[in-house]
Amino acid sequence: MKILKFLFLIIFAVSSVLSYPILAEFNPTYAIVGCKIVPGRGPQIEKGIIIIRDGLIEELGPAGKILIPEDAEVIEAEGLYAYPGLIDAHTSIMLETPKREPQGPGRPASPADEQNEVSNWQHTDFMAINHLKLKKSTIENFHKVGITTICIAPDKSIFAGQSVILNLSGEQPEPMVIKNPFALHINFVTVRGEYPSSLMGTMSLLRQSILDTEHYHLHSTQYLQFPGGLKRPVYNPFLEKLRPYVVQKKPIVFNCANMEDIKRALRLTDEFKLNAYVSGANEAWRVSEDLKKSDVPLFVSLRFNPPLTSIFVNQGEDLKKKAENEIYPANASHLHREGIEFSLTSSGLTKPGDIIKNVQKAIKAGLPQDAALKAMTLNPAKSLGIDKIVGSLEAGKIANVVLATGALFEESSKIQRVFVDGISYTIKQPPKGAQPSATSIAGKWDGLIKSPMGELTSTILFQQEGDQITGTISSELGNWEITGGVLSGNTLSFTIAANIMGNAMEMEFSGSAERDVIEGSISTMAGNAELRATRIPEEE
Amino acid sequence: MNKTYGTVVMFFCLAMAVPGLNGQNLLIKNGTLLTVTQGTIMKGDILILNGIIKTIGRDIQTTDDVQVIDATGKYVIPGIIDSHTHIGLSGTNEMGATITSEVKMRDVLNAEDTSIYTAITGGVTMVHTMHGSGNPIGGENVVLKLKWGKSAEEMVVGEAYRTLKFALGENPKQANVFGTGGTPRYPQSRMGVNAIIRREFLKAKNYMEQWERYNAAKKSKKGAKNLIPPRKNLKLEPLVAMLKGDMYARCHSYRADETLEFIKLSKELGFKIICFEHAVEAYKIARELAEENIGISAFLDNWAYKVEASEGIAYNAGYCTKQGVLVSINSDSPERIRRLFNDAAKSMKYGGLTEEEALKLITINPAVQLGVEKIAGSLEEGKHGDIAIFNEHPLSAYTRCDMTIIEGEVYFDRDQYLQEREEREKRKREEQKTKEKKGGVR
Repeated sequence: MKILKFLFLIIFAVSSVLSYPILAEFNPTYAIVGCKIVPGRGPQIEKGIIIIRDGLIEELGPAGKILIPEDAEVIEAEGLYAYPGLIDAHTSIMLETPKREPQGPGRPASPADEQNEVSNWQHTDFMAINHLKLKKSTIENFHKVGITTICIAPDKSIFAGQSVILNLSGEQPEPMVIKNPFALHINFVTVRGEYPSSLMGTMSLLRQSILDTEHYHLHSTQYLQFPGGLKRPVYNPFLEKLRPYVVQKKPIVFNCANMEDIKRALRLTDEFKLNAYVSGANEAWRVSEDLKKSDVPLFVSLRFNPPLTSIFVNQGEDLKKKAENEIYPANASHLHREGIEFSLTSSGLTKPGDIIKNVQKAIKAGLPQDAALKAMTLNPAKSLGIDKIVGSLEAGKIANVVLATGALFEESSKIQRVFVDGISYTIKQPPKGAQPSATSIAGKWDGLIKSPMGELTSTILFQQEGDQITGTISSELGNWEITGGVLSGNTLSFTIAANIMGNAMEMEFSGSAERDVIEGSISTMAGNAELRATRIPEEE
Repeated sequence: MNKTYGTVVMFFCLAMAVPGLNGQNLLIKNGTLLTVTQGTIMKGDILILNGIIKTIGRDIQTTDDVQVIDATGKYVIPGIIDSHTHIGLSGTNEMGATITSEVKMRDVLNAEDTSIYTAITGGVTMVHTMHGSGNPIGGENVVLKLKWGKSAEEMVVGEAYRTLKFALGENPKQANVFGTGGTPRYPQSRMGVNAIIRREFLKAKNYMEQWERYNAAKKSKKGAKNLIPPRKNLKLEPLVAMLKGDMYARCHSYRADETLEFIKLSKELGFKIICFEHAVEAYKIARELAEENIGISAFLDNWAYKVEASEGIAYNAGYCTKQGVLVSINSDSPERIRRLFNDAAKSMKYGGLTEEEALKLITINPAVQLGVEKIAGSLEEGKHGDIAIFNEHPLSAYTRCDMTIIEGEVYFDRDQYLQEREEREKRKREEQKTKEKKGGVR
C-alpha cells in the first residue's frame, strides 16, 4: 500500500512537469471569417476576415479582399464581433501575497535615530514575476471577460516592488512576459511600529530616498570618471535599485487611494521630474483640474468603494450607499467629459469577473462605450509602452482577439472565444437552456482516486452557489483547492489546484453528479485517473 | 544648501506669498465693530473688495454687485486665530523616530476634516496646525485659513512664519512604547531630551559647514573638478533654516525649569523661539519670557490633567499679559476650538484684562505669533477680510457666532445652516411617512 501511494505521488509529480505548454511548436493558423471587426484604431469593418499566423495578426480586412490561406483553420464568425484583447494595466490578482518579515519592535534602544536613513526594509527588489500564482482558472476568468494582457504589480509597502506585463497565453510566466520590469510601484502607506509610522514620514522618506539616489548616482559616476582624490562611494543595493527609476526616469507608478494621494504624487512628480503614473485614483474626478495641468498617465481603478477619508463616508449610510452606487462609478465619465485620458484597471478588485460588471456600471454612470473600450485597449497599451504590439487589431500586432456575440460591454453580449498570442481559448459557457441543476452536491463526500499507479482516499468538501462549484479535496497529500467548477444538469466539471512535492499543478475533472454519487475522470498529461465519490450522510 | 532645492523652496515660498487673493466683494453694514487695534466703532460698515478690507467707516456706499450683510445689533470682530491645533491633518505625530524635523504637516493636509467646519461655527478663520508632541523635534507646522469646501492648497497661508515643533517633558520622554512590543527609546529623561536636541543642532551646524566648504570650493577654481555636493539631509535642512533665522521654534513645555533650559539652549545654539505651547507655569517666569520676547500659547483654564501640568492657574494668561508677554489662547482640540471666545472672556475675571486685551488673546496676539499680523488679527484697512459676526458681545456668556467670513466669502451662516438642517429633517420625516404608509398596505 505504501509503495502504491508513492507511485501515485510520482505519477502526479511527473504529470506536473509535463504540463508545461509547448508554445513554439504549436501555432495553428486561423482565419476568423464573417465577423464585424472593431479594431480599436481605424474604421470598423462590417463583415471581415482576420488571419492569425504564428501568434500574430497576419492580415485583416473586409471579406472578399482577404484570401483565406489553405492551411488555415476557418472559424465561422458570422454575427460575432471581433475586438482587440483587453488590457488591464494594473492588477494584483495572481500575485502571491508576499511573506513579509514579521515586524518586530524594530526600534533600537540606542540613541540612534538613524533608522530612517533608508534601510533594507523596503521591497524595491520585489519582482512580481518571481511571485506569481498563475492559476489556469483565474486566467480563464480573465479570458472570460476579454482580458488578454495584464500588468501585475506588487501592492505591499511603500516601495512595493516592480511589476511585470504578461500576455495571458499559458500557465508559465516566462513565455508570457511582454515587459519585465514595467515599473516601480509606490504606495502612500506607513510601517506600523517603525519609521515611517505616519503619512508625513512616508512623504519625507520618499523625498530623501530620491535625493539620496540622485546623490549616489552623481557620486558613483563621478568616481568612475575621476577616481583620484574622491572618496569611494559606499555601495548601496537599495539605491542601486532606485537608480533606473530616479535617474534614467523609468516608470514609477504611485498608487493613490484618495484625492490627496493623487496630489501628493503630482507634487513629487513635479519636484523630482519623475516619469510617474497615477494609479488607483478612484477620486480622480475630484482633482481633475490638477490632473489636467499634468501629463501624468492615469490608471483608474474599477473599484468603487470610497476611501475612508472621503466626505461621502462620514455623513451617514444614505450618502455612503449613493457614493458606492452612483458617485464613484461616475469617476470615469467625469474624466472623459473633462477630456482627461485614462485607462481602466482592476487594481483593488480580487476577481476578474468584477471588471466587466464594473465597466458596465461606469457606462451606466455616463461613460460612452467607445471610451470604455479605449480605456481598456489603446490607452493602457500606450501608457504601458506596448502600443506597437497590442491594443488594437492591426496587421503585425500580437493576435489578441476577442470574439463576442454582441457589442462588448452590453450585458447581453457573451464572449465566446479569445485568442491570446494566436492561441485559441474557447470560453466555457453554461449550456443554453441548461436546466438549473436540480442536484445539490454541497457537503462532504468520500472520494477515491484511482490512478494507473495507485489509489488515494480523500475527503471532498463541495460548496455550491447556483451552478458554481468550489471546495477542497483533503488527503494524505495535502489539501487541494477546487476552483471554477460548474454543475450543469448532471454534468460536473471543476479544476483541482494541487500541490505535490512543492510543485503547483492544475488538473481537470469532468464527469457526472447524482444525488449521492459523483463519477468521472481527472485528466493529466500523464494519463487519466478515475474519481468516484459518495456522499457522507449528514449527522442529524 | 543645495542650490536647486533651495531655489525650488524659495520659488514656492514666493509663489505662496504673492497676495493673489481670489476673494469676494462684501459690505457688512451697521454693526458694532470691535477692531481690536483701533477701538470700537458703533454702527460701522466694512467694505471688502477682492477679499481685502478696503474701507472701514460709516454709511459706506457701493455698487449693486457687492453683497450686503446687515449687521444691525451685531458685533463684528476679526476672525479668531487658533495658534495651536492639529485639525485638518491626516496624522499628527511621526513616532517612528525620535527626531523628525524632516516631516511637514503641509504634506498631509486633509481639507475634509469636519473639525474645520466645527471651528468656523465658532468664528475661527485661521489655525496653526502642528506636529504632535511625541518627539523632542517634531515636524514643520503649517498655517491654514479654514476655507471649508476648498482644496487644501487654497487654505495654506504662505505669509506665515515657518515654524518647527519641539517638545519637552513627559511626552517625548514617555513616547517610548507605541504600537506593539515597542522597546523604550532614548531619551528617557529631561536631560536626554535636552541633549538630543543639542546633538541634532550640532549635526546641523556641521552639515551647514559642509555646504559652506563645498560652495566655497566650487567658487575657487582649484580642485573644482572632482567636487561633489554633500548629501542633502532633509532632517537637518529645517535646523539649518533655524540657525539662519528663516524658521522659528514652537516648543511644547509645561514646567518652568525645562522652559528656562530650552531658552538657554536656544541662545547657546543660536535659534529663535517664537512661543511656548501650554506653558502652564509661565506665570513663574513671566519676566524672563518678556525679556526674551518669547510668547506663550496657552489654555485659559485647563491644567492638572497630568503631574507635569499640575501647577497651572487661571490667572496665567492675564498675569503674563500684564508682565508684557505676548499671550494667545489656544484650543489644541477640535471641540474647544469652537468656543475660544468664552476662554478669552474668562481672562477678564481671572487676571483682570480689559475687553480689548481679552480679545487680543484670540486675534492679534496669535497673528503676531504666526507672523501674519500684516494680513489678519484685527479689523484694519488693507488686511484680509477674515471676519466673525456675533449676535452679542463676543465676550458675553450669551454670545454665539452667527457668521464666519474669509476673504470676503461667507463660509458659515448660522441661519442658512439651520434652515438647511430643518429642510433635511423635514424631508426625512416625509420619507419615513411614505415608508410607513407602504408598510401599512402590506
